[in-house]
Amino acid sequence: MTKYSALLFISGLVFLLMVITGLLPMGHTPMLVGNAILEGAKDQVGAANVVTSVVLGYRGLDTLGELSILFAAASVVGLVLTKSSFNKHASNNDDKHDHHDSGFVAVNAIDLIFPLLLVVGMYIITHGHLTPGGGFQGGVVLAVAFSMLVIVRPRRVSINHGMVSIIESFAGVSFIVIGVVALFKGQSFLQPLLGHGEFASLWSAGTLPLLYLAVGLKVGAELAGLLLALNTDEVAS
Amino acid sequence: MNSLVLLVVLPLFAAFIIPVVAKFSPKLSLFTGPVVLCINLLLIMSAWIKVGSGSEAIFLGGFLPPVGIVFYIDHFSLLFSGLIAGMVLIVWPWDAKESRLYSLYMLLSAASFGLVLSADLFNLYVFYELLAVATYGIIAASPISKVPNSSATAASLRYLFISSAGSVMLLLGIAIIYTLTGTLNIAHLATMTTSLDGFAGLSAFALIAIGAGVKAEMFPVNSWVAEVYGTIPRQLSALLAGLVSKLAVILIIRMLLMVFQQQAAFDLLLVVGMLGVISGEMVAWRAKDMIRMLSFSSIAQLGLIFIAFSIAGSKGLWIGMALMLHHLLVKGGLFLMADRFAGHMGKLKGLAKHSPMAAAVFLVFVLSLLGVPPFPGFWIKLLLILNLAEQGGGLYHVAIATILLATVIETAYIFKFVRILYQKADADSTPINKNYSSSYTFAKLFALILLVSMLFVSPISNHLKDIANHSASPHIYINKILPTKQLGDRS
Amino acid sequence: MNSFFTIEGILYFGAISLSIIGLFGLLVSKNLFRMLLSLVLFEAGANLVLVLSGFIRNGIAPIFLDGNSGAVMNDPVPQALVLTAIVIGVGVQALALSLIFRVKKHYGSMDMRTIRSKLEREIATQAGVTPPGSNEAPAPVKLVKGEAHE
Repeated sequence: MTKYSALLFISGLVFLLMVITGLLPMGHTPMLVGNAILEGAKDQVGAANVVTSVVLGYRGLDTLGELSILFAAASVVGLVLTKSSFNKHASNNDDKHDHHDSGFVAVNAIDLIFPLLLVVGMYIITHGHLTPGGGFQGGVVLAVAFSMLVIVRPRRVSINHGMVSIIESFAGVSFIVIGVVALFKGQSFLQPLLGHGEFASLWSAGTLPLLYLAVGLKVGAELAGLLLALNTDEVAS
Repeated sequence: MNSLVLLVVLPLFAAFIIPVVAKFSPKLSLFTGPVVLCINLLLIMSAWIKVGSGSEAIFLGGFLPPVGIVFYIDHFSLLFSGLIAGMVLIVWPWDAKESRLYSLYMLLSAASFGLVLSADLFNLYVFYELLAVATYGIIAASPISKVPNSSATAASLRYLFISSAGSVMLLLGIAIIYTLTGTLNIAHLATMTTSLDGFAGLSAFALIAIGAGVKAEMFPVNSWVAEVYGTIPRQLSALLAGLVSKLAVILIIRMLLMVFQQQAAFDLLLVVGMLGVISGEMVAWRAKDMIRMLSFSSIAQLGLIFIAFSIAGSKGLWIGMALMLHHLLVKGGLFLMADRFAGHMGKLKGLAKHSPMAAAVFLVFVLSLLGVPPFPGFWIKLLLILNLAEQGGGLYHVAIATILLATVIETAYIFKFVRILYQKADADSTPINKNYSSSYTFAKLFALILLVSMLFVSPISNHLKDIANHSASPHIYINKILPTKQLGDRS
Repeated sequence: MNSFFTIEGILYFGAISLSIIGLFGLLVSKNLFRMLLSLVLFEAGANLVLVLSGFIRNGIAPIFLDGNSGAVMNDPVPQALVLTAIVIGVGVQALALSLIFRVKKHYGSMDMRTIRSKLEREIATQAGVTPPGSNEAPAPVKLVKGEAHE
């Protein structure tokens, strides 16, 4: 019965959304804000990648909010999965699965790839204002690099949770501090500082690369924490 | 004025450093949050004086709107900011063992401040999500002692599914609005209401209303209410029902007042509100314990607020705001003292004799909730009904009938409860829980505020009317945020 | 009314269909993990609609390079927004997954109906009333091993 009513509801919704889609200006949207940003970004922010100007310049507060959401999610996962009773229960039947390292190929491949992944991740983060990429993408690469190490050697490698939480705090705090410095100079929160530099070079776009570095560290730490929390739990059950 | 962005930034900062601070000194991490909230209260007070009867706009990052994010500050947003700081201070988890919980409370307050201050649609979505995630965490991490530890987790998970689906709908609505207009700034949107007039614009509003309606306990998407309020501590229920639901309502009415001044949008809110009132009261009537009764009566009250907002213009905001404040006091107070009346209704006989004070406080709250003449609730309900009668159209008259019917049902179940309280105790009665608790003190404080406000009904209502007149006007809003419409229509 | 048989028409059709499939799955499936997957689909569809709102036919990526000074660029704003929305989605999904782990541990089931009825019974027992819709007395809540000695 519920299935049929859901089906009915959904088919109505499909119809409505199709009608709406038909009404939308597909492919030639007004772009009022978009055009203003495309015209002004070069002078106002000075990053070659306009998306980065939007993410960290025009809409920097959104990015801060999003970092906070990741932080909240990581805190909750930590809180939910490390309740003492839960872990005690889990570790009782843990011994019968003895976790060995993964096979020869996986272990050696990860050892080989790991430094490369770190370099790629840092490259993506530091060139976020010039090329597609940035703190989020690079941070994900870093997080994957570290969690791979743990996944192939579950017993021998472990990542220090205290270290992870210090990195994530430090990165979040430095993002806010960079924003507040502008406030103390009589400007607005998160206003880009330090001049624009030479356009389309590595040292350009003022504080944006610094902000992206903070974002990259934060995202990397949060995601590594999330992956590891979920991974250890899966191992335990 | 730029420093008012600290309202959002300071709690975020505190949330980030609390886990590290807790490693060195747990005591210090406990006090970080309340200290930050007190600083915020001071900031709000100084801004309240500075803003006066006008309003201010903060351009984040120094980018002039509509390209950048804007905070809009007037007495309406400052009033609710003050309430946020106060409410979070009242329910602060002093006995929590995990420092991460303090972080979550800080994130919750940062998101709440952002929700009332921001004038950018997508920024509102981000803060709404932050509020949601912090709420899931707080619910899952703080079950009451009597239920098994994991039932709060299950309630939180069910809430997460409903609320996340709502957030996605909100996102879809924002996407449709952006496709139609090419901007996200609410003031900028208010200058081009014509491009949102059609069916697509209306459906975008419906998506936003239903999406944000999950938190506002709106009619079709409120099945989480009883489960969540049944498994979390009462102080937290007071926070969620009293404050967080109002923040979602504020998001909806911002869009309604500034951008979607269309009859169809008002009708939508009216219908949803009426359904909420009726369904909430019916279930509350059948409830056998106080928490369930309060949960569903809260749904009904939120429905009443939606009915109030379906009145166009500043009158709707005026009445709606009065209803919101009244509901915050009454429902917040009732939830704060609900621990005194725990358990099956039939076992509460003779409670009034054991603790006449608690019963009297309870009576003050419920009489105002019902709208018995001298109490503020009466004036608000009267105002609502009179203004609904002034509106043309049959739907508004149906709404009056709905409110009256709901009041009858409400009277029936509340007096059933009050009668039990004042009956003679028998063998079945549970001994009253007379332990000292700070939340009961706050409930008494709320009742005192309610009684005092009874004496000042007319100055308070005049003041609220001024605030509403100022905040409901799209002209003031647009002029403040877009002083020179430097963009115009470039297309 | 514009035609669906253009490249953007097809893209929009796909995005909307994806979100509808997600919403449908969320409404009809009872397994917690499938519900989560449906939520992911729903979110993906909404994100696609959002990023499509900045789509310009023949537009290029909004990055200033040496050779593209005259070209039409896509709207950079939706791309930034969708980046934010995706990361938010990841956070929520990880959170949901951890809650599912714990719920599964406690209730021993992934079925939403079972969990809901057990949850309602727990709440009713805690409140001291008979659970709604059942005539018998509330059954004692079964504790999972390990929860008992708390």
